[in-house]
Amino acid sequence: MVADRDRASRRALLTGAGTALAGGALALAGCGSVATGKKAVKQTSMPVRQTDVKILSQALALERRTVSAYIATIPLLSRPRRKAFRQFLNEELEHTGELASLINAAGGKAGPRADSYPIGHPTDAASAIAGLHSLEALQISRYLELIPRLSPGPVRAAVASILTVDAQHLSMVRVLQGQDPVPGPFVTGSA
Amino acid sequence: MSARGHTRRELLGAGAAGAAALVAFPAAALADTTTTSDAPLTETERLQRLIQLELLGLYCYRYVLGSSILGRAAHQRLAPFVAHEQAHIAALEARLKARGGTVPSGPDSVKAANDDLGHRGIGGRLGQLQGERDALYLLLTLEQVTIGAYFVALINLNDKELVTLVCQIMANEAQHDAMIGLSLPKGTPQSAVPYGLVQGLQ
Repeated sequence: MVADRDRASRRALLTGAGTALAGGALALAGCGSVATGKKAVKQTSMPVRQTDVKILSQALALERRTVSAYIATIPLLSRPRRKAFRQFLNEELEHTGELASLINAAGGKAGPRADSYPIGHPTDAASAIAGLHSLEALQISRYLELIPRLSPGPVRAAVASILTVDAQHLSMVRVLQGQDPVPGPFVTGSA
Repeated sequence: MSARGHTRRELLGAGAAGAAALVAFPAAALADTTTTSDAPLTETERLQRLIQLELLGLYCYRYVLGSSILGRAAHQRLAPFVAHEQAHIAALEARLKARGGTVPSGPDSVKAANDDLGHRGIGGRLGQLQGERDALYLLLTLEQVTIGAYFVALINLNDKELVTLVCQIMANEAQHDAMIGLSLPKGTPQSAVPYGLVQGLQ
């Protein structure tokens, strides 16, 4: 199962601290959102589920590309930044797992990971972080297109709980780049 | 665990009256998106509730930023959020008016704001904040409650244009949440974004 592969990768990549943090998050964060979304999507008609599978698969491909970019970026960073970005990688991996889980609940099957993703060839921290900036922004703009097409509501909300974290990642990346971390009142992913 | 995570536990413990209910009770209870009956809210009613919450947030930001309680760095970081909240309110009001709804009023006094904070189970009261840390935690909890309200709205809204708007605002509130987290004592990028999925306080 792809979801299992994603989780195995997460175990391989992450430190114990990151895993503990993710576990600790469950009480307050979105652990219930995907469960509710999965339950809701199972109760919808086949055409709706098929549409959801297509949309969620697009989102999963984007998240996997971003995971690849984080993996390529982390070795280029200074130690303090590495720690933060390792956690962000953990969170992106969590997104892939949750999306795969929603796809499965909708009766689909998450496709295999690509052998490689177009993430450019960053050679230093600045260019790598700029690449992550672009990918996080791209994810946000794509989620804003995709979420209104999902149904039912709990599935939209579950995916929005991923969008919110990508928006937070983008803010943190902007901080590191010396940019305004929250440049406007509406998150659009345009920059 | 991050310092922020630890303090969240404190918030949810005895120190913040009613805060424990945030997790245990349905989202709507906190986000004030339910009615006393079992009837689901109409889109108009939901917009009114969201605007009321945004108005409370705007009042609290103005109060905190208008006092001298924040240090220079935090003040500078949070000051633009007032305009963001105003823009959220304007956007939601436009949708509400298009549906023929009446725009609700926000708190007009510290007491009214504190009553609303108490009603929503948010710890901390305007006028009683002991320093920057208290102010930041009040705003942080308020942002998380707001995110929770938008999350619940997304479950129930069907208008696609409204869904997009709610996603854009919810993500912006999540960015506010992260920047407040970064402003906390010992705040770091990792403590400011501690969770992989965010649905707010419910």
